[in-house]
Amino acid sequence: MKLHDRIALVTGASRGIGRAVALALAREGAAVAVNYRSREEDALAVVKEIEALGGRAVALRADVADPGAAADLVAAATESLGGLHILVNNAGISDDGLVYGRPPGAWLEVMKVNFGGAYHCTSAAMGHLMAQRDGAIVNISSVMGERGWIGQANYSASKGALNAFTRSTAVELARFGVRVNAVCAGFTPTDLVGSLLEDETGKRIKKQVPLRSFAAAEQIAAVAVFLAGPDAAYMTGELVRADGGFAAQLGVGRP
Amino acid sequence: MTDTLTDYLLVVQTATADSLGIEPDEVVPEATLLDDLGAESIDLLDVLFRMERASGVKITIADIAGLLQGGIPDEEFGDENEVVNDTGLSHLEKVLPQFDRGQLTEPLTADGVLGLFTVENLTRLLASRAAATGSPDTGTPNTGTSNTGAPADAP
Repeated sequence: MKLHDRIALVTGASRGIGRAVALALAREGAAVAVNYRSREEDALAVVKEIEALGGRAVALRADVADPGAAADLVAAATESLGGLHILVNNAGISDDGLVYGRPPGAWLEVMKVNFGGAYHCTSAAMGHLMAQRDGAIVNISSVMGERGWIGQANYSASKGALNAFTRSTAVELARFGVRVNAVCAGFTPTDLVGSLLEDETGKRIKKQVPLRSFAAAEQIAAVAVFLAGPDAAYMTGELVRADGGFAAQLGVGRP
Repeated sequence: MTDTLTDYLLVVQTATADSLGIEPDEVVPEATLLDDLGAESIDLLDVLFRMERASGVKITIADIAGLLQGGIPDEEFGDENEVVNDTGLSHLEKVLPQFDRGQLTEPLTADGVLGLFTVENLTRLLASRAAATGSPDTGTPNTGTSNTGAPADAP
């Protein structure tokens, strides 16, 4: 187990990629604070699952879009598990639609959670990680942050901000022995993307993915665990794509 | 310097040398951290965290700024161009024993104040904070990872 004696906080960990990351970290031996905003039962189920694996976990409610709540979350995670080494900024929302005709503020909530949540939690955790000169932050981002997609301008912008934040905080924190990296996930069927990947639309998208499948949440989580652990000790400021080759190709990669 | 101050000087020297990648013997008490040793604000932060790990005493950049300004409001410390005035200069002479306004070759600006802060000033701040907080490490600070190869209690 590569994360024995490590303590992690995963935001938005009651379901989807966050849940998979929490479980994967626990399988490597880390104690995990499972953050949730509204799905207490789901979060408690993740905690139970981790305990069934023989691990340690705690469920903590907080809306990371709120800086005060994020600070309290980091403090509660550190206190209840006895420290903090790994922060996974995963909490995210989407609110898709064409920019044309949408209310002017349709970007704000998405930005507040996807970028703001990472900013707030990083800001709250960094002092502790810097002082102990040991820590890894993994931001769960998206290939959408580097490319465009009709109807996802706000989401894409929030992930682009998260990617830029990843690089800048990596440079700032490197001096203090703290690494920051991001996983840029491709299409992953979770509640966040809803019905997009089902039926005919899903089939059309899947045909454009070189690996010809969508990501399992566990496949994204595996990259996050790698970035959080000792095998990535010399990596920081990196955006690692886990997208089945989708963003590697030019256009659809063929005539 | 007393033995205790010498111990704390070693903490500051080790932290500063490790942070800036210079030799500990370059970190002389009279050197200013920013101007003489070339530290930038992020370096200073790194120095303070290293000192905290070695001594158990937490000092923030805000603590240093607080010492330098002594709670005097900005508008009383300097004029409208942020040039430090008589009140400010008198306070600095009080808290920085080596500071002598007669030696200034140009007006001192608010931004320049931190540039006056020396290794010895930081050492004395560390010693006073350690005494005030009753740190269990007081007197026998662990100098942490040093690249000097010197034992932690070396004079």
